[in-house]
Amino acid sequence: MAEAVVEAHGLGRRYGARSVLENIDLDVHAGQVFGVVGPDGAGKSTLLQMLAAILRPSAGTCQVLGRDVRRDPAGVQARVGYMSQGFSLYDRLTVAENLAFAADIRDVTGPERAVRGAELLRMAGLDRFQHRREGQLSGGMRKKLALCANLMHEPPLLILDEPSLGVDPLSRRELWRILDRARTEGRTIVFATSYMDEADACDRVLLLRDGKPLALGAPQELRRDVAGQVYRITGPALDRIEAALETDVGVISFQRRAGREVRAQVRDGSRLAPIEAAVAEAAVPTMEDVFTFASAPPPAPPGAASAAPPQPPPPRIRNDVIVSRGVSVRFGDFKAVDDVTITVAEGEILGLLGPNGAGKTTLIRILCGLLSPGEGTAEVAGFDVARQSEAVRARIGYMSQRFSLYPDLSARENLTFFARAYGVPRSELRGRIAWASARASLEDAGEGAVRDLSGATRQRLALACAIVHRPRVLFLDEPTSGVDPLSRFRFWRLIAALAADGVGIVVTTHYMEEAAFCDRLGLMMDGRLIALGPLTRLADELGLVTPDVEAVFLGFIERERTGQGRAA
Amino acid sequence: MKARRVLAFARKEVLEISRDRFTMGVALLMPLMMLFLFVYGISLDVDRAPLIVVDHDRTAASRELQARFLNSGYFILQAAPEDERSAEHALMRGTARAALFIPPGFSGRLGRGEDAPVQFVVDGTYASTAAILSAYGRAILHAYPEEVRLPLRPEVRVWYNPQLRSRNFIVPGLFAVILMAFPPLLTALAVAREKELGTIAQIYASPLTGSEFIAGKLLPYAVIAYAELLLVVFGGVVWFEVPVRGSVGLLLAVGLLYVLCTVSIGLLVSTLVRTQLAAMLTALIVTLMPAFLFSGFVYPLFTMPPAFQAYASALPTRYFLEFSRGVVLRGAGLGDLWPNVLVLAAYTATVFALATWRFRKRIA
Repeated sequence: MAEAVVEAHGLGRRYGARSVLENIDLDVHAGQVFGVVGPDGAGKSTLLQMLAAILRPSAGTCQVLGRDVRRDPAGVQARVGYMSQGFSLYDRLTVAENLAFAADIRDVTGPERAVRGAELLRMAGLDRFQHRREGQLSGGMRKKLALCANLMHEPPLLILDEPSLGVDPLSRRELWRILDRARTEGRTIVFATSYMDEADACDRVLLLRDGKPLALGAPQELRRDVAGQVYRITGPALDRIEAALETDVGVISFQRRAGREVRAQVRDGSRLAPIEAAVAEAAVPTMEDVFTFASAPPPAPPGAASAAPPQPPPPRIRNDVIVSRGVSVRFGDFKAVDDVTITVAEGEILGLLGPNGAGKTTLIRILCGLLSPGEGTAEVAGFDVARQSEAVRARIGYMSQRFSLYPDLSARENLTFFARAYGVPRSELRGRIAWASARASLEDAGEGAVRDLSGATRQRLALACAIVHRPRVLFLDEPTSGVDPLSRFRFWRLIAALAADGVGIVVTTHYMEEAAFCDRLGLMMDGRLIALGPLTRLADELGLVTPDVEAVFLGFIERERTGQGRAA
Repeated sequence: MKARRVLAFARKEVLEISRDRFTMGVALLMPLMMLFLFVYGISLDVDRAPLIVVDHDRTAASRELQARFLNSGYFILQAAPEDERSAEHALMRGTARAALFIPPGFSGRLGRGEDAPVQFVVDGTYASTAAILSAYGRAILHAYPEEVRLPLRPEVRVWYNPQLRSRNFIVPGLFAVILMAFPPLLTALAVAREKELGTIAQIYASPLTGSEFIAGKLLPYAVIAYAELLLVVFGGVVWFEVPVRGSVGLLLAVGLLYVLCTVSIGLLVSTLVRTQLAAMLTALIVTLMPAFLFSGFVYPLFTMPPAFQAYASALPTRYFLEFSRGVVLRGAGLGDLWPNVLVLAAYTATVFALATWRFRKRIA
């Protein structure tokens, strides 16, 4: 076996009394691609910062490229390539200037510098943009440039913190092409991700949650370990299947997929109880399943079974609660939303997918009446968003990426505040809060300040706050970012239950796999809606056999580029 | 420390700054604005104080006394009411700063060679202004009627600023204060910005050392700060016509040292904070505020309690302020003021070393 590039024992980091990472043992060998996988707040960045020797460990030892990160941090810093989360280059410098600066501070001089720079830019498809300011590039291009800047000094080890977070699928593919090239050159890659498909492509992965290691190993091994515990269940009445799974104590979690099937994870040693009028077959586990198992609570959770309330029959006539026609908005020269036409019916879940900067959030702001459309019209809950925005805002619920909660107040105080702010009469306050808490399954929120709640609990509290005034339309802007798969599945079940009540729901996400939970998808890119419809129909339209969201998205981007017209 | 890396870093800074026109504008306009505001706004000269005269004598002699007050240029006539009561009222309302009461029979007593009492009342709300006004009043009264023969004949001369023009005193003080106000602020913001945007991570994970980073930041901001110094000196000498008795070259040379010192303070602040907001507030509190109050700019240090004098001595502004006033007003040279230059040099070296030491290439 090749030499160890990274070797860590009992590595941990605490800030004051708070431990953010503990007991990490890992070794990465030369030429490997090693994934650190987990939701936001799991401790991924902390771990990578310690490996890059820019954060001092509070416990354990760590050798990187044969140097101790504690005793020789400068030696480690000078030899690795480290790409932090977000954008780490200078937005006022051009592409070429940024690259030159990266080379300068790493002592890359001489003729090979120009050759290497040109080669990297060509590989990243950035050679045409040499003189453009970094700040004027798209998110994907900025990430590719940052990667190039970190390859200028040909580091033997690349440490990348969520390189593809929020990047469009095309740029993500190009990013990985550059990384594959780096790998064939013999470089070792350690990267953090919350995307499970990227985890699947690693040589080895470390699963992290709440600062603790859950599992370490090759993805095949980890998947093999849970083989036979994952089921695909199909049948005519998915609601009934879900109700049955809800009561089965052997079931860890289950998720509805693309409206046609339910996937269930079952505890080791238990068997799936037979379900009436349904066919259950064993499925090949994915990394998402692995993570679900790894983060499962201990067996027989007391009383946690009633997450989803009983479902009333869906309404007969489904009225449209959102109708937008040719909506556009400009910021200066920049068209943030370009000619978007969509409808959403009562009880329907529309998923808006797209990379950062595609216009998803701006579109939601228009539909919420927070931003007037420059062109086109939109009606939400029967009111015009531009002229009757007050009326619109009283009938919608909005949950933003940042959850907009008051961290120093308790869950109950937050709920009370939002209920009062939305004009819920004092006499109904108690009932409404109880209802919203039950709907969001908030039994674990307690009386403490919100700052001390876990990300997943805060997410459900934010949902409760968004629905406490019983809105007819619910907008969820990246509601699941930073939450582990198990909690995400649980959240999606709550969303499905709200939809069953007749609430029209618009969700944005950059987790492609979540598309499967939506009735219809809108794919957005550069402000335009490049495709709209159920996932399976979109796949059919492109002639794809399996409804893989990323393939569908790439297919429609390709279609846009070759100019085969706008969204059908 | 490798010169090549420092220069590469400084070049990057220059590119960034040159593309940020707003910051450039603020950097060059604000010092000039401050110069103008302060010179026009702060005047320590006391003249044209509104005066109330209550003249019960109404003779040529009493009118002559009144005229002496008004012709001095230090007083203007606010009103000449009939009775004391309305005079008191004017003082109470603050429309007059002083009042002169001339009793009936004033010229008669004067003619007879008797003591002729007059009353001169000064509003003591602004203590220092009141002290100056009462001194003016006393001087005018002493010189009246004519030829007061005193056994002692003092001959008082004011050196260095014979017209006692406060502008000549304020402007060289402002050189020191302005350069303590803006350069540290700009520099502190520049580093905090890298922390906020996350570009600092790239610096951390590179061979660039702390001293190279600090030096690379220092150079371009020192150039900007020096441009600010040139601007305010030019404005002071050309626009406000402040005579420079000493060597302008010496002032500008030591000014360079002072500029390096203030920029280093900005860098030290920036190593202590994470956000631009914190950088701004900290810079204001450690530089601008003490530069105003504890440098001798307006309030003389020798009147302060010892603890505050010690505090003032711990800040670099007073040393350059003394130097600047010494060169501009007194025509002093290096031979007189070398200790100040020495302190500034030591201060600069210490702050730079501290900033380098504090700038650890670590997130935490």
